[in-house]
Amino acid sequence: MTELTAPNVVASSTRTDRRRKLLQNMLRGERPYMLYIAFVVLLVVFSLSSPWFLSLDNFLNIGRQTTLVSIIAVGMTFVIIARQIDLSVASTLALSGMAAALAMSQISNSWIVGAIAGLGTGALVGLLNGILTTQLSIPSFLVTLGSLSMARGLAMMVTNTKPVIITNETYFAIFGEGTFLGIPVPIAWTLVAMIVGILLLHYNVFGRRIYAVGGNPTAALYSGINTKWVTTAAFVLTGALAGLAALVLSARSHAARPDVVQGMELDVIAAVILGGCSLFGGRGYILGTLFGSLIIGTLNNGLVLLGVSSPMQLVIKGAIIVAAVAFTKR
Amino acid sequence: MKPILRQTLPLTALIAATAISIAPSARAEVPATCVKGVDLATLGPKSIVGQGPHGEKAASPEVLALSDADAAKIKEKHFKVGISMQTVNLDWAQLQIQGITDTLKKYGVTVTGVASAEYQVDKQIADIENTIQQHPDGIISIPVDFTATAPTYKKIAKAGIKLVLMDSIPTGLKHPEEYASMISADSQGNGQIAAQILASCMPQGGTIGLVNFGVDYFSTNERTKGVREWMQKNRPDIKMKQVDFTDPPKVSQIAGDFLTGNPDIKGLFAVWDQPALDTLSSMRAQGIDIPVTTVDLGLQSAIEIAKGGPLKATGSQRPYDQGVAEAMAMMNALLGKETPGWIGVQSLPVTQSNVLESYKTVFKKEPPPELTDACNKAKPACN
Repeated sequence: MTELTAPNVVASSTRTDRRRKLLQNMLRGERPYMLYIAFVVLLVVFSLSSPWFLSLDNFLNIGRQTTLVSIIAVGMTFVIIARQIDLSVASTLALSGMAAALAMSQISNSWIVGAIAGLGTGALVGLLNGILTTQLSIPSFLVTLGSLSMARGLAMMVTNTKPVIITNETYFAIFGEGTFLGIPVPIAWTLVAMIVGILLLHYNVFGRRIYAVGGNPTAALYSGINTKWVTTAAFVLTGALAGLAALVLSARSHAARPDVVQGMELDVIAAVILGGCSLFGGRGYILGTLFGSLIIGTLNNGLVLLGVSSPMQLVIKGAIIVAAVAFTKR
Repeated sequence: MKPILRQTLPLTALIAATAISIAPSARAEVPATCVKGVDLATLGPKSIVGQGPHGEKAASPEVLALSDADAAKIKEKHFKVGISMQTVNLDWAQLQIQGITDTLKKYGVTVTGVASAEYQVDKQIADIENTIQQHPDGIISIPVDFTATAPTYKKIAKAGIKLVLMDSIPTGLKHPEEYASMISADSQGNGQIAAQILASCMPQGGTIGLVNFGVDYFSTNERTKGVREWMQKNRPDIKMKQVDFTDPPKVSQIAGDFLTGNPDIKGLFAVWDQPALDTLSSMRAQGIDIPVTTVDLGLQSAIEIAKGGPLKATGSQRPYDQGVAEAMAMMNALLGKETPGWIGVQSLPVTQSNVLESYKTVFKKEPPPELTDACNKAKPACN
C-alpha cells in the first residue's frame, strides 16, 4: 500500500515479494495496516468490556455519529496532502446549514433548493479560501482562521443568532432520517463522499497532482502543474463537503442553528492525521481518514457505554489518540 | 498502482457490514395516562419551591415596583447599563435581553451594549473589564462560571457600579455590598413539573434516564435535583439512571450511546431544551420512541410538543419576565433602595394542550406560522 503515498513508486515484481513487504510494513508499524489493527483492537476491547457494544444497532450509531467528521475529513485529506490546512470547516458547515434552511423558508420549500444553497455556500467559502491562499500567497492557516471567524459571524448575523426551522419531510428523508438499501442515509452520504474521494485521489490525474503539489510544490510547478488551481480545487471540495455535512446535520435536527459543531475542525484534522496524512503534505489516504474518524467515533461511543465520566473520557480519548499516532507513525 | 479491489477491500467490508435493514429498537408501551392523566390546573408548584444559592427564600418580582416619583428620578438621571451574557444564541438569552432593554427604555435608561462570552471564561472576563471601562452605572450579567469569573465580578462593585445577576452568584460575592440582587427562574420547580409529567408516562417500576449537565451550575443542578426529589417522594418505584455531558454539542452522541447501553430506559429528562432536541435527533435515528420532558421553551421545542411526538412537556422559564425583573432590580439599586438577595420567577408548565398560549406568555408575541401549522395538524389535542 505504500504506493498510495507516492504514485511513481514501482510495485514489487512478485507475489512473494509483495507478501514479504506487507509483513515487514506491518511489523514496522507502517500505516495504514497498523491503523486497521488499532481499530480492530478497540473493537475487541470494547466488545469484551460492554455487553451493548457488539451489535449492529450500535455500529450504526457509531457510523451516524462519525458522519459529519468523516464527510468533511475526505475534503480535508486533499487539503492536507496539498500541504495546506482548513480551519474554517465547522464554521462553513454552520453557514451552509443556515443558507440551506433559509433558502427553503424564504425562496421555495424544496429540498433541491436547500441542497443547492447548502452545497453552493460551502463551495463558495472554499473558493474564497483557495483564492486568498493561492493568489495572495497568504498562509492557509491564517486565511482559514479568518474565514472561520467570518463564516461563523455571518451564520449568526443572518437571523440574529436564531435557529431556522426546517419542515420539508423529503429533505429529512434524503439527508437525515431515511435509509438507502437498508443503510441510514447519513452513513450512505459518508460512503458516497468516501468513494468519490477515493476515485478522485487514487484513480484520477487530479489526485496525482494533489500529491505532487504537496510533495514538492516547486517540482510540480516546473512539471507544468497549475499548482494554484489544484490547491484551490482542494479547498472548494472541502467547502462543498462541509456543505453536504450541513445538509445531513440540519436534516437530522429539523433545524439549522448558527452555533453548531464549534471546534469540530480539530476532530476533522485529528481523524485525517490519525489516518496517515502528513501535516507536511504529500502523503495521505482516504481510507485511512475513514478509519481515523471511526477510531475517534468508536472511542466516544465505547467510553459512554462503559459509563466513564465525562472528564475521564477526555483524558482517555486524548491519551489513546496520541498513543495510536505514536504507535502507527513511521 | 494496485487493483481497485484490494485498495477498497476494507471499505467494501464496511459497506457490507452496514447494508442490513434495522428494526426500530423496541421500547415499552406508554401508559394511556401519559400527560392526559395530569391536570394542568394543579400541575407544578404554586410558589417558589427552591432556595437561592445561599439558602435564601425567594422574593417576588412584585417587591420591585417603582412609584411615579421613583420613575421620574430615574428619567432625570439618564443612567447607563451594560449587559454581559454567557451567549446570545439561545431564545432564552434573546428574551432576557429583550425584557431588560424594553423595561430600561421605558424609564429612559440607556443600554451601552450587550457582550456575548460564548461560554468562554476568558472572554467574559474581558467583556466585563471592557464594560467597566465604559463607566456605566450598572451591569446586568450571567456568569459563565462562578469561580473563575468571581475576582472580575468583584471589580464591578469596587468601580462603584451596581451589579444585578442572572441565575447564579459568583463565589464569594456578598449581598448587598457586591451585588444588588440575583434573579432566576424556580429551577427546582421546573424540574418538578418535568418529573410529574414524565411520571404520568411511566409504567410501575420503570426506569428513566436523566441527561444532565455535568458542570457544577446552580440552575441546572436545581432542575435535576427537582426531578430526583419529586420522583423519590411521589414515585419511588421509578428507577433513575443518569448520564452527564459537559460539552453541549456532544449531547446527540452521548444520549444516543446512553440509550444503547441502557435499553431498560422508558423515559427521559433532559436538563434544558436544546439537549432534549439533540436527544430527539438521536432517538429518531435509532428508531426509539419514548417520552421526553425538559425545562425551557424555544420555538423548536414548542413545535415538537405541538406535534405530539416524544417531547411531551417542558417546565418553562419566563425569560422575558426575568429580564423585566432584572431591569427593575437594577433601577431599584441605582436609586439606592434595598433589593432582595434572590428573586424567583414562577414556573410555567407547557404541554400539547396549552402550547400556543404558553408561547404567547413566554415570548410576548403571537406564535409564528411554523408553530401554528404544527398545532393545526395535531388538532384537537393541540391548543
